[in-house]
Amino acid sequence: MRKFLAVVKHEYKKIVLKWSFLLATLLFPVLAAAFAIVPALIFSIKGEATRIVIVDQTGKVAPRVQANLANDKLAARADKAARDSLKDLSASQEERMKRNAEQFGGNFKFVEYSADEKSFEQIKRELNQKLTADELDAYLIVPSDFEAAAAKFEFFSRKAGDFVINSALEEAVNEAVRSQRLADANISEAQLKDLSQKVELNVRKINETGAEKDGDSSFVVGIIVAIMIYITLLIYGQQIMSAVVEEKETRIAEILFSSAKPFELMMGKLVGVGLAGLTQIAIWIISALVLIGIGLAQMSAAGMDISIPDITPLMVVCFFIFFLLGFFIYATIYALIGSMVTTVQEGGQFAFPPILLLVIAFYFSFAVIRDPNSRLSFWTSIAPFFAPIVMPVRIMAEMPPFWHIALAILLNVLAIAGLVWLAARVYRVGMLMYGKRATIPEVWKWIRQS
Amino acid sequence: MDERKTTLRVENVFKYYGEFTAVKNLSFEVKAGRVFGFLGPNGAGKTTTIRMIVGINYPDEGRIELFGNRISGEMQNRIGYLPEERGLYKKMKIVDQLRYFAALKNVSSKTADERIDFWLERMNLSEWKKKKTTDLSKGMQQKIQFISTVLHNPDLLILDEPFSGLDPLNVEFMMDVIAEFKSLEDKTLIAKITEHADEKEIQLVENADAQILLKRLIESGASISKFEQIEPSLNDIFIEKIKGNQ
Repeated sequence: MRKFLAVVKHEYKKIVLKWSFLLATLLFPVLAAAFAIVPALIFSIKGEATRIVIVDQTGKVAPRVQANLANDKLAARADKAARDSLKDLSASQEERMKRNAEQFGGNFKFVEYSADEKSFEQIKRELNQKLTADELDAYLIVPSDFEAAAAKFEFFSRKAGDFVINSALEEAVNEAVRSQRLADANISEAQLKDLSQKVELNVRKINETGAEKDGDSSFVVGIIVAIMIYITLLIYGQQIMSAVVEEKETRIAEILFSSAKPFELMMGKLVGVGLAGLTQIAIWIISALVLIGIGLAQMSAAGMDISIPDITPLMVVCFFIFFLLGFFIYATIYALIGSMVTTVQEGGQFAFPPILLLVIAFYFSFAVIRDPNSRLSFWTSIAPFFAPIVMPVRIMAEMPPFWHIALAILLNVLAIAGLVWLAARVYRVGMLMYGKRATIPEVWKWIRQS
Repeated sequence: MDERKTTLRVENVFKYYGEFTAVKNLSFEVKAGRVFGFLGPNGAGKTTTIRMIVGINYPDEGRIELFGNRISGEMQNRIGYLPEERGLYKKMKIVDQLRYFAALKNVSSKTADERIDFWLERMNLSEWKKKKTTDLSKGMQQKIQFISTVLHNPDLLILDEPFSGLDPLNVEFMMDVIAEFKSLEDKTLIAKITEHADEKEIQLVENADAQILLKRLIESGASISKFEQIEPSLNDIFIEKIKGNQ
């Protein structure tokens, strides 16, 4: 027992007392935040106004398009879109959204151009000259038969790749043509506004007790949970493998085996590295809870009602249990592979089975978020290898019956026992096999003989 | 002269790897306070035998006793083993690895720290205590490996080709340390060498109290190396040459 603890301490310190651990622990939340914020920041950068000419010899569409592209209208649309995607905006968020919308809206500057009596070719030639002379960024030619289904609107742009501009313009033109068609059908603007009112789908989730809950947040939390477990299992599994390979490659194993039982050494390694992983996840979760707590306190102080997914202590406990189950399953597989190969590189080539299992489990969790009560969700959330990722996600989506969780724990503990039994046998022999990689028949022989 | 205690007793030991017999009916005894030379060509079963003595492997037949007991974790704590192929953790501080190896031999951390300082001082490596293995020269690394085998003050020291790769100056140094170990009562030393042994190693074994020779012939031309005993009557030849009046 003392030797086992010595191994645990050694492995734990080896990981935790390293700069890379501190860096990874701090960096993960920063990276996660960056992934969420950076794209929004980039799109909010205000581009230069697009100088545009709208050629409309019918005179019917251009004024509508111009009206649609006017700043306040674009701003209103962007604001609406933002509101649809993000319910319950705080005051400061609302302020920011408005600013963003204005930035998007201020992007068009209409240039006067007289196209009277000119042929299509002539217009094109003249405007292309303006484009090359940098007097103009884009022009749109409204066809005279714009009301026909096959009508072609020609849009020429020096920045054809700017999809923000393109989509704003496309929507404005669509709306203009649509309202012109309706106006031609003698429908008034007022009627038009009423008729084109959009339907809003308010997604509410109902759990077994009948309580309502916002649907969106559980999806996001589920994905975050799945990613977090997936990444930590992958990183710590590989860590185990390289630690095992190092001891084999440097022949330290021979000294270790003459001091302690291989089983003690292997289990000590698994437990030590597992505790290091647990430390890291605990730091993440505690800091996340503290941050959410501070945020909530501030918002309720400002008199705002914000919906966050309810995370119960039971969920957190389950999360840690399933993380540990997953860790021991995958770490044992990695230890087994590590004791079979001769170098870390070779280990990397043979590490695809556990990675494949992890990836499959990760994808199953998407299906589970969509329908936590389906048969697929049940089976994948109790199955060994998959449950460690799928079950926590399922619990976040909706608390399953208790016996599902108990069964998942039982099955995975059994799988761990089996894997440890196998790995211990391979480890004992494999660690002292130098020079060449063990083949599967050889490994099978070691398992049978010992 | 006197009835010394038996440090190691190997009795009719067999070890098989599948079809292949690595050790066949080997018996010998090592008394406390003696120095033993363990020799033989490649493939004679030396490493297998040593691994069974230090408890890495177990005999398929026969029995090995250490200090009058069957091999166990407690017995392992009394052995210092320097394997033929030896290594250190590459990116770990010297002091941390030595502490770990000592802890695995059940040495308390306080005692370990004292002994680490003593040995580093003695080997002129004190300033390297906080350095990583990769900062050390090969010779220095070997001295650190030697320290790790004596930190727990073992009663039986098994050195597998102890001088291979050492420069002459360090060989002299190691010879002194080994001589000192030999002078202690009740301590036993087994030194294993191969036919490639260098002069000093041969000297070490020649001056031993006794020599154990494992011999096998490799049948040339066979697709799978097949080992046969040189003398059919004795499975593994065991020569004990008691020197002097002991």
